[in-house]
Amino acid sequence: MKPVVDRLEQEYQGKVEFKIYNVETSEEGSALMRSYGAQYVPTFVFLNRNGSEAGRLVGEVAEEQLRSKLDSLK
Amino acid sequence: MDRKTVVIWAVAAALIIGVGVLMFTPAESGAQDVSAQRAAELVAEKVRVIDVRTSGEFEAGHIPGAENVPMNRLSQEAAGWDLAEPLLIYCATGARSADAVRILSGAGFETIYHLSAGIIAWQGDVSQGADTAGSPARELPDQVPGDTPVLYVFSTDW
Repeated sequence: MKPVVDRLEQEYQGKVEFKIYNVETSEEGSALMRSYGAQYVPTFVFLNRNGSEAGRLVGEVAEEQLRSKLDSLK
Repeated sequence: MDRKTVVIWAVAAALIIGVGVLMFTPAESGAQDVSAQRAAELVAEKVRVIDVRTSGEFEAGHIPGAENVPMNRLSQEAAGWDLAEPLLIYCATGARSADAVRILSGAGFETIYHLSAGIIAWQGDVSQGADTAGSPARELPDQVPGDTPVLYVFSTDW
């Protein structure tokens, strides 16, 4: 998944801020993951500009699914 | 050398060779992959359950009765466990737990059950919450309205 995420991060630079956490090494990431009630890795949580959650995807998801969600963010 | 001496030496040599073979032959691994259904049976049988995910993942939801021993602590903690006690090992998808099974097999644990599909395949109750997809919208502390949208990615090593 990493190459896909890296590619999308480049492509959406300036449009969507990517915050990527390794929850095994990042206390902050682990705490955020808990606050979202996410159980599995990887979990992708999409937030609109106003901070509202626009949705999430869990597991090995297709690039097109990620792209579709990213495009729908307001 | 008389015949009796020869027999004694032959028996002694056979014993030495036999003991040597037993000592240096690796114990056959007792690890076996199990389905979620079989894992549920094992949980009901009170088999010791080890969750090797991170504490954050564990707290969000785990198999009832499981102990959280993340991968980075596994070798150290397992050093004090009973090698004869059966273990059921799982993580999220089976990748990390496969490594855990290798570590535990190498350490000499006799009976290891591996939920190879991970907790994702688990059909039973979890001790705390369920997947919260579709949960109410929340605002993160550092998410200021007016900034760009954000994608949070929670992962381990890819």
